[in-house]
Amino acid sequence: MLSRSAERLYWLARYLERTENVARLVSVHMNLLMDLPRGIEMGWQQLIRINASEQDFYENNKIVNERTVIRFLLTDSSHLGSLFSTLSAARENIRTSRELLPDEAWEQVNEMYLYTKKNLDSIINRRSRVLFLREILKGCQRFTGLLSGYMSHNNPYRFIRLGRNLERADMTSRILDLASLLLSDSRSDEMRQYETILWMNILKSLNALLMYRQQMHSRINGDDVLNFLLLDKNLPRSVGCCIAEISDSINRLPNHDALPEKVIELERYVQAIDTHHTTQVQLRGILDDLQNKLGELHRQIADNWFLAMTVE
Amino acid sequence: MKSIWESYKTESAYDELMYSEFQPRQVSYSLCQYLNILKKEDIDRRKKAAELAIMEMGISFTVYSDEGNIDRAWPFDIIPRIIEAREWKIIEKGLKQRLTALNCFISDVYSEQSFIKDGKMPGEIINSSKNFRKECVGMKPRHNVWANICGTDLVRNKDGIMYVLEDNLRVPSGVSYMLENRVITKRVFPELLQGINILPIDDYPTQLHDMLSSIAPHQNGKVTLVVLTPGIYNSAYFEHAYLAQQMGAQLVEGNDLVVDEDDYVYMRTIEGLKKVDVIYRRIDDDFLDPEVFRKDSALGVRGLMRAWKAGNVALANAPGAGVADDKVVYAYVPEMIRYYMNEEPILPNVPTYLCSNNEHLDYVLAHLAELVVKPANESGGYGMLVGPHASAKEINAFRQIIQKDPRNYIAQPTLAISTAPTLCKGKLEPRHIDLRPFILQGDRTFVTAGGLTRVALKKGSLVVNSSQGGGSKDTWIINMGDR
Repeated sequence: MLSRSAERLYWLARYLERTENVARLVSVHMNLLMDLPRGIEMGWQQLIRINASEQDFYENNKIVNERTVIRFLLTDSSHLGSLFSTLSAARENIRTSRELLPDEAWEQVNEMYLYTKKNLDSIINRRSRVLFLREILKGCQRFTGLLSGYMSHNNPYRFIRLGRNLERADMTSRILDLASLLLSDSRSDEMRQYETILWMNILKSLNALLMYRQQMHSRINGDDVLNFLLLDKNLPRSVGCCIAEISDSINRLPNHDALPEKVIELERYVQAIDTHHTTQVQLRGILDDLQNKLGELHRQIADNWFLAMTVE
Repeated sequence: MKSIWESYKTESAYDELMYSEFQPRQVSYSLCQYLNILKKEDIDRRKKAAELAIMEMGISFTVYSDEGNIDRAWPFDIIPRIIEAREWKIIEKGLKQRLTALNCFISDVYSEQSFIKDGKMPGEIINSSKNFRKECVGMKPRHNVWANICGTDLVRNKDGIMYVLEDNLRVPSGVSYMLENRVITKRVFPELLQGINILPIDDYPTQLHDMLSSIAPHQNGKVTLVVLTPGIYNSAYFEHAYLAQQMGAQLVEGNDLVVDEDDYVYMRTIEGLKKVDVIYRRIDDDFLDPEVFRKDSALGVRGLMRAWKAGNVALANAPGAGVADDKVVYAYVPEMIRYYMNEEPILPNVPTYLCSNNEHLDYVLAHLAELVVKPANESGGYGMLVGPHASAKEINAFRQIIQKDPRNYIAQPTLAISTAPTLCKGKLEPRHIDLRPFILQGDRTFVTAGGLTRVALKKGSLVVNSSQGGGSKDTWIINMGDR
């Protein structure tokens, strides 16, 4: 397998995972806002905070409201983190890797891209937005499903799995960042009143509510949710599970050098997090640290397998 | 209800489907009957379905323009073009004969040059050819085949005879569109295809794979094949990716490959360097190796020619094969067939005037208004003059261009090239078409069943190139049985 192809497939998976995450976040958030009273500190601005893109947002927008945030997150092609941008980037990567994937994989991504392009204007309308987001989520799931069913679980597949899980772990940690806001001591009484709903919302943004109920048998509370989303080994979007997947993919790839040890270190670090005695400040620190470690892992993966542009 | 056939005029050219305005040819009878039953809305629906399929399958080509490169959906006409299998058999034989002779010629050019020594062709033509590569003299590619992949353009004149218009021996493109056109037709007219005996075409990638394997420098064990593309901004990138995928080959760009000190070619993989045996290169000679050809080429691979000359890697087509892809050399192909094969040409050439010949030049300059004048080494329909469609000013301008560089121009009579019914705004109208079959030569020779039919979508236009507003059609070779 070419180093160039490995890099493209890895990024294809990361971009598609981002696309799916943004779609789910917006979708869950819309539902949440319909349940909450107006004026509570859980407005549209939280969505920009999750993606650490406040600076980018305020470069082109003065006010934060549904319209500006939706445009920024879904359709703005000048914002590299918007759904349309990540989907376009995914398409560009798969277009240049078609020889490694089943035909249907390319057609699926291409269809989603064409669909998005066609619906860019109607997304501002809530009803069409709901439909649109459903389609995107379905499309991403179809992509994952058809690779799992049609593609040999070979090295190209492993790079896709690697990219997907790295991106997932990163996203879960960012969503938990938002949770740290919920733990803040200065939160309003009104906010405390809606806390369960807010934690449910965190679970839903990772499609984890049902699994939480089955696994934890407890009423929804912050400590258990944190514990579940960070440490659980079976939930696909928990950080622990993503790292296990990363570890497995890396171990099955040729020439993995020192990477398996690095992942073991990361695994140990995560499992040592004590979610029951964490203050908001500590949690933020831990999550920041985790994101940095994931970034470091990405650099090591790139150094190890991707095409280093040699200057002749 | 209005029929889509309303006021179909067969005009003055040969029509591939219609014998006269109302009478289909025998070979297209079933198709025409079927189209007659369809309502206009049915046709529209199918046209839309085809367009959607093209979008979703991402069948595109890139157009270079001032505003940057645009990826365009492949323009496709849903009405197929039909040729009878008995006629096709003869054409196929003619194409094999032609490529065999061309390969004998290229081998000869890079060795004894007996064709020239025996006075069949002035040596000046080779000496002045941009595509003659002195670096290739003395090379002996496997099976003595230089042009492994050839796309030959055929047109049918008013007399009903198929003529060879040109042989594309450098990096002919279009075969992926031929394959995809059939996929779309199967989607759009599933019930129609069931009742007609159409020769299948989908074994092309397998044939290409086998041919490429047959030219590998070693014949023991697994052969590593790659398709070398100039990259995503090339107009045929879709095709490069498509063929690599269909063959299970790696699609590589120049900087994925490296020639090591041992003069072998390697690709950079996640497991380190891996040896490459055969390169199906879709890059012109000029850009292939900055060590030998254009120094500024960022697309090629430094040292590739060294590896090829050492016999460590096979290149298809071989460097230098383009010497026979020259419209002046074209004029000598019938003579090559007689000289090397001792046979009469099965497929005729279009009569060709060589501007390098003074007598011919005088004739051409006096008759520009009736002739088609083409540069000897361009492709894609660029830089040519269609006399009957040009203004007096354009003709005068072209006259000066020819006089400046007569070696580089040839002229041919304007053919009344054949037409086929084409869907234009919900109605069938005749549009001019050509045909590009693809021929593979390695240890044996293979011809696609049909080829890519290109159609000039503009009314009256004779230029079918996709870069110049042309489209394409599915091509059916129909077996009528022995009646």
